[in-house]
Amino acid sequence: MTTVMLVDDSATMLMSLKSILTKAGYAVETAGHGKEALDKLGKGVKPNLIISDVNMPQMDGITFAREARKAPGMRFTPILMLTTETEQSKRAEAKAAGATGWLVKPVGPDQLLGVIKQVLPGA
Amino acid sequence: MANLLRKISMTSAGHEDDGLRGDVVAAAVDGVPAYCEVIDGHLRDVIEQTGEAAEAIVQQLLTVDSLAEVMAGDVDRLAGTLSRTEVELSQVTSNNDRLVGRLIAYFLHRDTQIRTLVDQMRELDQHVKQIEQVSKATNILALNAMIEAVRAGEAGEGFSVVADEVRKLAHRSAEAAQGIGSSIGDLTAKLDGVLSDDSQFDRAGEQPATSEETAMTRRLGGIADAQREMSEMVAGILKDTVTAAAQVQRSSAALTTETTGAVAHVQFQDISRQMLEHVADAVADVRRQCEDVASYVRDALTEEDLLSRVISVEELRSRHVMSRQRSTHARQTGGAVHGEAEPLIELF
Repeated sequence: MTTVMLVDDSATMLMSLKSILTKAGYAVETAGHGKEALDKLGKGVKPNLIISDVNMPQMDGITFAREARKAPGMRFTPILMLTTETEQSKRAEAKAAGATGWLVKPVGPDQLLGVIKQVLPGA
Repeated sequence: MANLLRKISMTSAGHEDDGLRGDVVAAAVDGVPAYCEVIDGHLRDVIEQTGEAAEAIVQQLLTVDSLAEVMAGDVDRLAGTLSRTEVELSQVTSNNDRLVGRLIAYFLHRDTQIRTLVDQMRELDQHVKQIEQVSKATNILALNAMIEAVRAGEAGEGFSVVADEVRKLAHRSAEAAQGIGSSIGDLTAKLDGVLSDDSQFDRAGEQPATSEETAMTRRLGGIADAQREMSEMVAGILKDTVTAAAQVQRSSAALTTETTGAVAHVQFQDISRQMLEHVADAVADVRRQCEDVASYVRDALTEEDLLSRVISVEELRSRHVMSRQRSTHARQTGGAVHGEAEPLIELF
C-alpha cells in the first residue's frame, strides 16, 4: 500500500488530509513538525510521498525537506510543500531544498489527489 | 517623529512648553501593554476555540462518513440478498409450474383410464343382457320340453324332470346375470360419480375449455396461476426494493463525497489561525513600541534605540505570507490590489 507522510503543526489539517487520503486508499503517517518527521524517517518509516507544511515550530518544512533528502532511500521520494505561503522566494527556497512541488492551502480533495497521481503515477 | 520625541523628552522634566508633557505621554501609553495583552489573550482564545471547533467538525464529519459507509454496506448486502431471493423465487415458481403441470397430466391420464374402464364395463353389461336373453330362451325351451314330455305320457316322465332342471338352471342363470348386471351398473354409477363429484367443484354454468379438462385440473391450473401472480407481485416488490437500495447507495456515495469536501474546507481554520497569529504579532509590536515610548520619556531608553525599533506599515507588509493578507494590506493602505501571480499548485 502506498504510504503518505503528512507533516503539519495543525491537528485540523492532519485530520482533514488524513481523512481524504485514507478514503482514497493510502496509508498515512503523521508528524506535528519537521523534527518529528525526521525522527520517524530515522526510525525506518519509508513513505512513498511526503506532504509537508512550511511554517512549523521546531523545524520548518523547507529545512525538513533539505534534511529528509539526506535520509536513506529518500533521495527520490516526492516531497510536496502544502502551505499558506505564497512568496515566490520561499518556493525557490523549497525547490533548492529538494521539494517536488508547491501547493497553496486550501486544497480540495480532487486537486490534492490529482497532484499525487502526477507525482506517483503508479500508485 | 524624531522632533516630536525630542519635544516630549525636553518637557518630561516638568518644563511647561507648548502643551506636550512627557509624564502625561508616559501615563497615556502605560496602559497600552496591558490593553494589548488582553487583545492578545482574546486572539489566542479565538484561535483555540476555532481550533477545537474545527477538530470537532472534522470528527463529526468523519463519523457521518463512517455511518454512510456502514449504511452503504448494509444496503449493498440487502440488495444482494434481494437479488438472490428474486432468483430463488423465480426458480420456485418454475418448479411449482412444472409440478402442477405433472399433476394435471396425471389427473388427465387417470380420468382417461376411468372413462375407458366405464366404457369397458358398459360393454360387459351388453354381454350380461345377452346371457339374460339366452336364459329366457332356455326357459321357454324348457317349458316347451315339459309340454312335450307331458304329451309323451309315462315315457316322457324322465324327460320332464330334465326339462324342469333346465328351466331352473335358466332361471338361476337369469338371476345371476341380473346380479352381475346390477353390480356392473353400481360400479359404473360409482365411477361416473367419481368423475361427476369432481365436476361439482366447477362454477355454475362454466364448461371445461376442453373435453379432457376437469374441475381438478382446472383448479390445479388456477392454483398455478395464483402462485405465478403472487410470485410476479413479490418479484415486483423485490425489484422496487433493489432499485431503492441502489438509490440509497448513490445517495450514500454522494454524502461521502460531500463530507470529504466539507472536511477539506475545514482547512480554513489553519489559514485563519495563521492570520490571527500574525495579527497577534502585530499587536505585540504595538505593545512593544508603547513600552519603548514610555521608557524613552522616562530616560530608560535612548532616542537612537527607540527610533531603531519603530514599527512601520511596510515592515508589517513584508511579514505577510498569504496573498489575502497582502490584498487586505493594500486595501487598508490605499495601495493597488494585485491578483496572485504565482500558481496555487506548482510542480518543480
